[in-house]
Amino acid sequence: MADQNYFEDVAVGQKLPPLTIAPDKQQLVKFAAGSGDFNPLHFDENFPMLKPMGLSENIVHGRFKYAQVGRAVFAFAGYKGRVQRFGVSYRGMDPLNKEITVNGVVTAKRQEGGEHIVELDVWTENADGQKTTPGTAVVVLPSRE
Amino acid sequence: MPDTETKFEITDEMRAQYGVDSAPWTYEVTTTSVRMYARGIGSDDPIHYDVEFAKAQGFRSIVAPLGYIGTPVYLPGKNDPTFGFPRREGGPRLNIPFRGLLDGGTETEYFDYICAGDVLAETSHLADLKYRETGRPMLFVTNESVYTNVATGKVVVKQRLTSIHM
Repeated sequence: MADQNYFEDVAVGQKLPPLTIAPDKQQLVKFAAGSGDFNPLHFDENFPMLKPMGLSENIVHGRFKYAQVGRAVFAFAGYKGRVQRFGVSYRGMDPLNKEITVNGVVTAKRQEGGEHIVELDVWTENADGQKTTPGTAVVVLPSRE
Repeated sequence: MPDTETKFEITDEMRAQYGVDSAPWTYEVTTTSVRMYARGIGSDDPIHYDVEFAKAQGFRSIVAPLGYIGTPVYLPGKNDPTFGFPRREGGPRLNIPFRGLLDGGTETEYFDYICAGDVLAETSHLADLKYRETGRPMLFVTNESVYTNVATGKVVVKQRLTSIHM
C-alpha cells in the first residue's frame, strides 16, 4: 500500500500510479476459483464457443479487469479513505499474456456534507494504448484539518 | 459463425419484470474466500490476508478487495454450475436464445467496506433491457442487486451489472 493520500494534497489532473499486469492462464484460473466464474471462455483454448463469438483465443475476464481498477482505486483511497462508488464499461477484449495497464486521473474534488470527496477517471489500456475498460470512481479521502 | 439468425424481441411481458425483486440469497464472506479472491487478482496487500494487520488498521477483519461481494451459497441444482449465481424463484425469466455471454459493465456503490465474517442477503431485479440488431445481434441485460448485512440490517452495497448475450 502506498502512502496515505489526504484531500488537501490531491490536485485535479493528478495521475494515479500506473499498475501493469500481464495475466497468464494460471492467474485467470486462480481468479475463476476466487470469483466463482468458471466460464471456459477464459481458460480453455478448445472451448467451442470461442469461434461463434468471433474469438481466436481466450480472453481476460471483464471482472478481473474491474478488480484491477479496484486495486488502483483502493490504493488511492488508502486505509483511511473510503471508496463510495466505482464502475466501468467493458469496451474491448484483452487476450491472455498481454500487458494491461490500469491508469487514473483526478477529475474533481469537493467538500460535501462534511466529507472530502475526490472524483477519478479510471481505465485499463492495452499495449496499443486503447482503453478497453473505461470508468469512473468516487473516493472519500481523509483531511489533514 | 456468429449467431446472426437468432431473433429476439423485448416484449411488454419482459418489461413488466423491471424492478420486481427476487427472493433473497445468502452471500458469505470468509477469511478463506477473501484471501482466495485476493490471490485471484494478484494483490499482495496484507489488508486482504492478515487479520491482525487489518484490525490494527481499524477494520473488523481482512477487507474484501473491491469487486468481491462475497460468494453465493452454492446448492447443487439451485445455482448456475458455471457462474455460481443463484437460480432462484422470483427472478426474471427471459428465455434468452443466445449462447454467448460477455460482461458489459459493472458499477458498484459502497456504503461500507465488506470484511471477512460478513454474511450478506442479496436481492436483485431486472433494471433494463436493450436489443441491438445491427451487425451481430446483441441483448444487453442490466440487473441491479442490493446487499444487506444480515447482522446489522444495513445496506452495504448496491451493484448494477450489464451482461451481453450474443
